[in-house]
Amino acid sequence: MSDPQSTPGAQGAERNVFSRRSLFRGAGAFAAGGLVADAARAAATPTSTRLAGVVELELEINGAKQKVSVEPRTTLLNALRNHCTPPLTGAKVVCDRGSCGACTVHLDGQPVYSCMTLAADAVGRKVTTVEGLAKEGELTEVQRALCEHDGSMCGFCTPGFVMSITACLERKPGATLDEIKHACAGNLCRCGTYPHVFEAALAAGRALRAKGGK
Amino acid sequence: MSLDPRTTLAQQDEPPRPAAPGKKWVKSVRVQNGIDTEVWEEVDIDSGASGPSWGARKDLRLLNHDLPRVDAPDKVTGRAVYTHDVRVPGMAFAQVLRCPHPWAKIVRIDLEPAKKLPGVLGAVVLESEEVKWVGRPVVAVAADTPEHAEDGVRAVVVEYEVQRFAITPAQSQAPDAPKIAGNRDNVRVHETEGELADAEKALAECDAVVEGTWRVPVQHHACLETHGVVVDYRGGDSATVYASTQGTFTINSDAARKLKLKGSQVVAVVEHMGGGFGGKFGMGLEGDAACKLSLELKRPVHMLFDRASEFLAAGNRAGGVHVLKAGAKKSGELHAFIANVERHGGVGGGSNQKQPYIYRPATSHTQVKSVLTNTDSSRAMRAPGHPQMSFAMEGLMDDLAYAIGMDPLEFRIRNVPDNRRTDYERQLRQCAELIGWNSHPHRTAPNRSNDELKVGIGFALSTWGGGGGPECKVEVRLLPDGSVEVLSGTQDLGTGTRTYVAAIVAEELGLELNQVTARIGRSSYGAANASGGSTTTASLAPAVKHAAWNARKALFQHVGTLLGVKPENLRIAGGRIEDSTNPESNWIGFKDACAAVGGQGISAQGEWQRELASNGVGGAQAAKVQVDTLTGEIQVLHMVGVQDCGLVMNRIATRSQLNGGMIQALSYGLFEERVVDPDLGIVLNANFEDYKIAGCKEIGLMQPVLDDGDERNGVIGMSEPAVVPGQSAIANAIMNACGARLREMPLTCDKLLMALRGAKRG
Repeated sequence: MSDPQSTPGAQGAERNVFSRRSLFRGAGAFAAGGLVADAARAAATPTSTRLAGVVELELEINGAKQKVSVEPRTTLLNALRNHCTPPLTGAKVVCDRGSCGACTVHLDGQPVYSCMTLAADAVGRKVTTVEGLAKEGELTEVQRALCEHDGSMCGFCTPGFVMSITACLERKPGATLDEIKHACAGNLCRCGTYPHVFEAALAAGRALRAKGGK
Repeated sequence: MSLDPRTTLAQQDEPPRPAAPGKKWVKSVRVQNGIDTEVWEEVDIDSGASGPSWGARKDLRLLNHDLPRVDAPDKVTGRAVYTHDVRVPGMAFAQVLRCPHPWAKIVRIDLEPAKKLPGVLGAVVLESEEVKWVGRPVVAVAADTPEHAEDGVRAVVVEYEVQRFAITPAQSQAPDAPKIAGNRDNVRVHETEGELADAEKALAECDAVVEGTWRVPVQHHACLETHGVVVDYRGGDSATVYASTQGTFTINSDAARKLKLKGSQVVAVVEHMGGGFGGKFGMGLEGDAACKLSLELKRPVHMLFDRASEFLAAGNRAGGVHVLKAGAKKSGELHAFIANVERHGGVGGGSNQKQPYIYRPATSHTQVKSVLTNTDSSRAMRAPGHPQMSFAMEGLMDDLAYAIGMDPLEFRIRNVPDNRRTDYERQLRQCAELIGWNSHPHRTAPNRSNDELKVGIGFALSTWGGGGGPECKVEVRLLPDGSVEVLSGTQDLGTGTRTYVAAIVAEELGLELNQVTARIGRSSYGAANASGGSTTTASLAPAVKHAAWNARKALFQHVGTLLGVKPENLRIAGGRIEDSTNPESNWIGFKDACAAVGGQGISAQGEWQRELASNGVGGAQAAKVQVDTLTGEIQVLHMVGVQDCGLVMNRIATRSQLNGGMIQALSYGLFEERVVDPDLGIVLNANFEDYKIAGCKEIGLMQPVLDDGDERNGVIGMSEPAVVPGQSAIANAIMNACGARLREMPLTCDKLLMALRGAKRG
């Protein structure tokens, strides 16, 4: 976890601050298309020399606007977990570097690793976390199917799988087993629930199609 | 771990002494290191005579069925609060500074640069003298955010005086190697069994002799939730410690000692936990760090390892080397066996590896030694020692079967212990049927054709104890509003404990699953054993049943008076209690009955009931594998696991665990290995990119089968055996596919290609 450019001490950095970490994180967040370009632009024309401090951001999370005070280097994952009220701890810190998928959230409907996305880069975009899926307490088809098919054991990977499968089935309710495996290829589970997760995803796809999806 | 501490009298034909008044002797089976032993136990004569019983399997409404987990909705919505997710007012986030050297004396530690940083709240020294493995936490820093804690860790200055060290077993066995444990030798011989001369003589009598050296790497538990605690102590005389642990009650007294409080002043909480697999008992170094910081700062501290610390400082499954030589007779008898086993447990002993595993040679000689190195100590990991032993022994069994031209399945059945042959044969034949062995063209010799893509099938067995003990105290409450609660301090590792605890009570009281609330994971509830050795269910389920049975009896006392019926004539079903002699007109609803009790309702206690548990489990697994002889690619197409475990509590959750065992074994077999630079001692893959665990695309079709041929009506744990044989079956399938015997895990393409070249030359 090296972060050579963070120099704590400065207060109140502006938006568009840039650090090597954001380039590294942006480059790794392949799922979130525009980030690499954004980071490169920022590198070419730095608008601030401030590399640390506290910035006030307004994020739109699960349909509600929320102000958070974070550092430029704060990941979306840590902003959700440590700076929101109430804390949104559904997305999990597991690898903190984009290799396990337990922190998966949706940015404008696309699944991204929130550990590889800076909170600042989520400004102006719609963030959906696992807490935001069930409307008025009613489970989604994906969530319901995971319950019925025993799709979680310890459950620590489960929020990530819920988000990956939800995005996959929103794109294509008729996704095949191979397509579901592909959509979840970035999600690790140590208990070995995969077979029941796949069964659940296929069942959720069937339920969504029955409701009139594509 | 699976052994009941009260059983010390092994393998005697007669009880050791006359039974005490009111007691009798019973013989029961215990399994340790794959060897089952019959032991005498002294029990109460009238125990169980008038106590609860599970009833006939066909009469069960909930148990032994597929039950949705009661906490699944919390897990799929993100509501489930794990230790990582605990947020309490004023909480500081902590991280640790790890020693980068395999062996170093600590000369100087300067915390001041860290303490001066913004957001940093405090720093404490965890080790000030000497460190003997890379990654050992030395300092812990607490700050207002995780980012600031990382800043603080980087700012701490530690000067080390690096010592000579030994990373590989070869280095630590060199004549001039530094002594890792004081004056003790780096190599310790644990045990020698059987006469070598006898085994060598028997070997000369065999029709075929095979030998080989099997090597198993160090594996990591790789729990997704890292080790850690949140210590909520703000000064004063009480504390709450949230812990990601396999033992609620391994936390509270330990934490109390470290916080200088009394045991009764600390409550441990384990609401949900993100995986343990044997590696999470007690407070650990992370717990020490949190307590020290919390004590100093008088504020709550969140100390959860980051991923690198989890790999480096949270234990592992011991590696090992198993040098085996054995001979068989044409009849199929495993006649002679010689083993030299080396355990690699770092600065620890290296868990229970020995030989022979499961199968019984007529004559055998085994020597077991452990070799210390300057690496993190191994810890218990799901079936400690068994997967390692299995990999070597099952490979040897296949090699021997092919050497005498016998079907490896039949060779196995011939050589398992007599008292378990019926079970193993049933399980192996079911595996064979489901995996397609009976129509497989290569059943007595590997496929040596020149095809590029080749498919093979392999088998392996498992064994475990899985019995229970009397630690658990359970309470069932029937409240005046008709709600039902069951309380136990036990923890749910993801096995489904919370769900079957509720289901047992619902079954006994004729209620639906959602009418019972299970409250677990809190040391203020009744005592419970730690989840080690697959002992949770066999210890807990009987106590829950007993409490529910006592609650029903108490309720019947009240209702009997109310309805004017003898309590023994009452029965409970479908939400009502009725007079069994006049059920249509003389009954009362469950809720009304609870209301009629008055006061605070009924509170009933339960303790372990020997008759409701059993022990000794086994299983067979088969793997079908495709190998590409051109590229060396190994693909697992299909795995079957047939597992017995007495009376099943929740079938779908048990199948999940069997799947999980097979997948972890596949992952161990094909991908996992801690890689340490032998010269620098640095662990090269302490992250999930370079330490690979099986993902969605690598697992093939998994077919978990619960062996209903096991008719024991007692509860037994089955988590551990599920993880034992998979990698062995895969290695045997590779051998069957192409004649290449891979004796070193992980089973990777480079090793397969090398072995294929050897196989062709040979």
